[in-house]
Amino acid sequence: MTDSLELDGKRVSFSAGETLLEVARRHGKEIPTLCHDPRLKPAGACRTCLVEVNGFRRMPPACATRATADMQVTTNSERIQRHRQGLLSLYLTDHPETQPERLSKNQLVEMAERYGAAGDWGSMASERAGRREDRNPYVHFEPDLCILCARCTRYCDEVEAVNAITLAHRGAKTTIATVDQASLMDTSCELCGGCIDVCPTGAMTEKLPLTRQVKPSKHLKVVRSTCNYCGVGCQLDLNVDTSANEGRGKVVRVTSPETGTTTNDGNLCVKGRFAYDFVDHPDRLTVPLIRQPDGSFKEASWEEAIRVAADGLSRVKSRHGADALGFVSSSRCTMEDNYVVQKLSRAAFGTNNCHQCAAT
Amino acid sequence: MTNSIGEIRDADFLFVIGSNTTEAHPIIAMEMKRAIGSGATLVVADPRSIWLSQLADKHLQLRPGTDVWLLNAMAHVIIGEGLVDQAFIDAHTEGYEAVAEAVRDYTPERAEEVTGIPAEDIIWTARRYATTEKAGIYYTLGITEHSHGTDNVYALANLVLMTGHLGKPSSGMNPLRGQNNVQGANDAGATPIFLPGYQRVDDPEVHAKYEKSWGVPLSPVPGMNLNVMMKAVGKEILGLYVMGEDILLSEPNVSRLEEGMNKIEFLVLQDAFMNETARFADVILPAAIFAEKDGTFTNSERRVQRVRKAVEPPGMARPDWEIVCDLAKAVGHDWKFENTAQVYAEMVRDAPKFAGISHERVDSEGGLQWPCPAPDHPGTKFLHEGGVLRGKGQFQAVQYRPSEELPDHEYTLVLSTGRTLYHYNAATQTRRESGLAAKQPRMFVQIHPWDAKQRGITNGERVEVYSRRGTITADAVVTKEVRRGCIWIPLHFAEARANLLTNDAGDAVTQTAEYKVCAAEVRKIPEQVLSAE
Repeated sequence: MTDSLELDGKRVSFSAGETLLEVARRHGKEIPTLCHDPRLKPAGACRTCLVEVNGFRRMPPACATRATADMQVTTNSERIQRHRQGLLSLYLTDHPETQPERLSKNQLVEMAERYGAAGDWGSMASERAGRREDRNPYVHFEPDLCILCARCTRYCDEVEAVNAITLAHRGAKTTIATVDQASLMDTSCELCGGCIDVCPTGAMTEKLPLTRQVKPSKHLKVVRSTCNYCGVGCQLDLNVDTSANEGRGKVVRVTSPETGTTTNDGNLCVKGRFAYDFVDHPDRLTVPLIRQPDGSFKEASWEEAIRVAADGLSRVKSRHGADALGFVSSSRCTMEDNYVVQKLSRAAFGTNNCHQCAAT
Repeated sequence: MTNSIGEIRDADFLFVIGSNTTEAHPIIAMEMKRAIGSGATLVVADPRSIWLSQLADKHLQLRPGTDVWLLNAMAHVIIGEGLVDQAFIDAHTEGYEAVAEAVRDYTPERAEEVTGIPAEDIIWTARRYATTEKAGIYYTLGITEHSHGTDNVYALANLVLMTGHLGKPSSGMNPLRGQNNVQGANDAGATPIFLPGYQRVDDPEVHAKYEKSWGVPLSPVPGMNLNVMMKAVGKEILGLYVMGEDILLSEPNVSRLEEGMNKIEFLVLQDAFMNETARFADVILPAAIFAEKDGTFTNSERRVQRVRKAVEPPGMARPDWEIVCDLAKAVGHDWKFENTAQVYAEMVRDAPKFAGISHERVDSEGGLQWPCPAPDHPGTKFLHEGGVLRGKGQFQAVQYRPSEELPDHEYTLVLSTGRTLYHYNAATQTRRESGLAAKQPRMFVQIHPWDAKQRGITNGERVEVYSRRGTITADAVVTKEVRRGCIWIPLHFAEARANLLTNDAGDAVTQTAEYKVCAAEVRKIPEQVLSAE
């Protein structure tokens, strides 16, 4: 069912249930938001998305106001601009004035610049408690940067549905907390890192890249790839420090693509987001090895190793026939790897004895 | 999956059976949670209490291995109460009468005796499933890793067909794939009976097509399934090439496999890490991992997505496909592939299902779901729209068969194995990640308080778990999450290999091993042994 309303003087259609924010963004209108995330129910908490609607005395939040037929909506006006500047200036009074270069962008600071908010309205250092002692390995909380938009706690409730973190205390002491300020390791937290993904200011951030003093994101190369764990096929962005490892490059952080763009909708699990250290692990095999008569391994060139491998398999074939060979391919490797293995088995060695763990 | 991951959030009824979705497929679980948040009904059928069962409207905590009883009893209720979709059955299926006949004796009351699930819960679930329009079934290895795994799948398919929950959004039959590219490995033809795109090796037309395409004579004889191959190691199988799997950690009943490995003449191992299998290798070839190579993975919903090289491999390690091409060349087959896009192009050239997919299209469109037969085809979100893909949907009548090895007076417990959130399969990757290792450092066994008390075992105590095939040690986790008489262990720990215990009895059709049910026992470790440790 579609209906229409007037958006900045233009007739536009909308479907039942759509919010003003959704309609406006679909029509290319810019409305700033801090507490909004398409994965979450509208909270209407940050008030940055206020718009004017004819017949409404107060400006309603676009994110939490459903479109109704023949509404007349204005997304930009002097009144709206004045409101945004004032609001963002107020947010800045509770935000560190100078900040070190962070891993992620600070959307509040960027927004304040874009809308020309004053940065000199004084400072009200809130006593927000952090969890300095939290021994969880992945998620770091920087209370000074928190603007209490509650995206993280709502994500933890509505998307991951574990409710490990919550808003606690009142007034200027309000903070993001766990029960009794326990380490995330001792809560229902599944370490998915969604709180980091939704945080607009970088108050929730990756602990490992921080402690390893990884370069800020603008100095990293981002490579979109597919997660190598389970079969969901989450898209992820490998953040690469190209100069590390003598120029080989190093994956220093994994982030999820923007919500609404891929199968995983901006979400990742603990393995996809955090378990990438194996890529660069010292245990990696780096040299071809050939077994010696005494049972030890000798390092070899590729040429020699390929020759020994090919000869060994050929010898079994000539002694016992092609079907004495078995080729175990891998559901962990790519389509292309699997294609050439089955072709190797069938076309080069003459047997259909080729399978992988899909049997199990 | 007949349907897509993105459709889950719009489902109104989710029947999750044999899938610990939150731990094994966390992102799909998020979609399920989203559906629940919008009012969907969730039923979880699992012998264990899992995170998802805490969110469920009903948790059907069945005895391991009794799935056919549960599913046939649901069919019994649906048929008996006239809740079948007769129009769909008439138009799109065959064999319904045989199923109706077969499930006649599977009354919910008798099912209660066998499965341990209250009859009224079976009836409630059957009714809700049959009468909800957007009702989907989601399952994983808890269904398939049984000696009657194929029967389980048939019994599920019967439910889907008789209710017409097929070819529509947010419904269908959805096996959630366990590995990044397990769908793709099968699609690519790494199976003993199929060339790429599920074309049978013994089909004369297919055979002729590939002999012409590849320019070499090919064997028309289907090969050995992996489980058959593993049992034949050291006998019929005397040479092995193993890429990217630690068979000595992952295959069932590994002590028997080790005996066979001692007798083989040659083993090539291609992997990124040393593993258990390496002990028997004659040559080890160092491979690049996903972040170091180009290519594609195909996910559970048949979506082909790109894998892109982000960093250079360490030392002399190289991408698997390059190594394999070199091996082929060394035995006289020069395929002249310059990159993975060319490999993919050759694969789809002879496989009509994927003919419209290329690296180029995947790059520009972000991912494509097969079937995708032509370059201008948009791909397929859900299968069987407007009917059933291949002729008629075939009902398959199945009868309950007990698992191969049931508890007896000596091994009194039912052992099941599985995956946890914090590790992945052989865990060569995840156990090298300090955070995950800290969250879950070593082998544990879940045991019911009653069973623990019988054996004088307390929570956290180091115990021995043993079966006819082997013994391992583990930390006892005393919990009501498992049924009385059942124990559960994860499969990730090389120093306490779950597969020393498991039974390699295979499914009659697929030979998939019975990882989910074998007879086992738990005992305290004598004091002197503990102190020696």
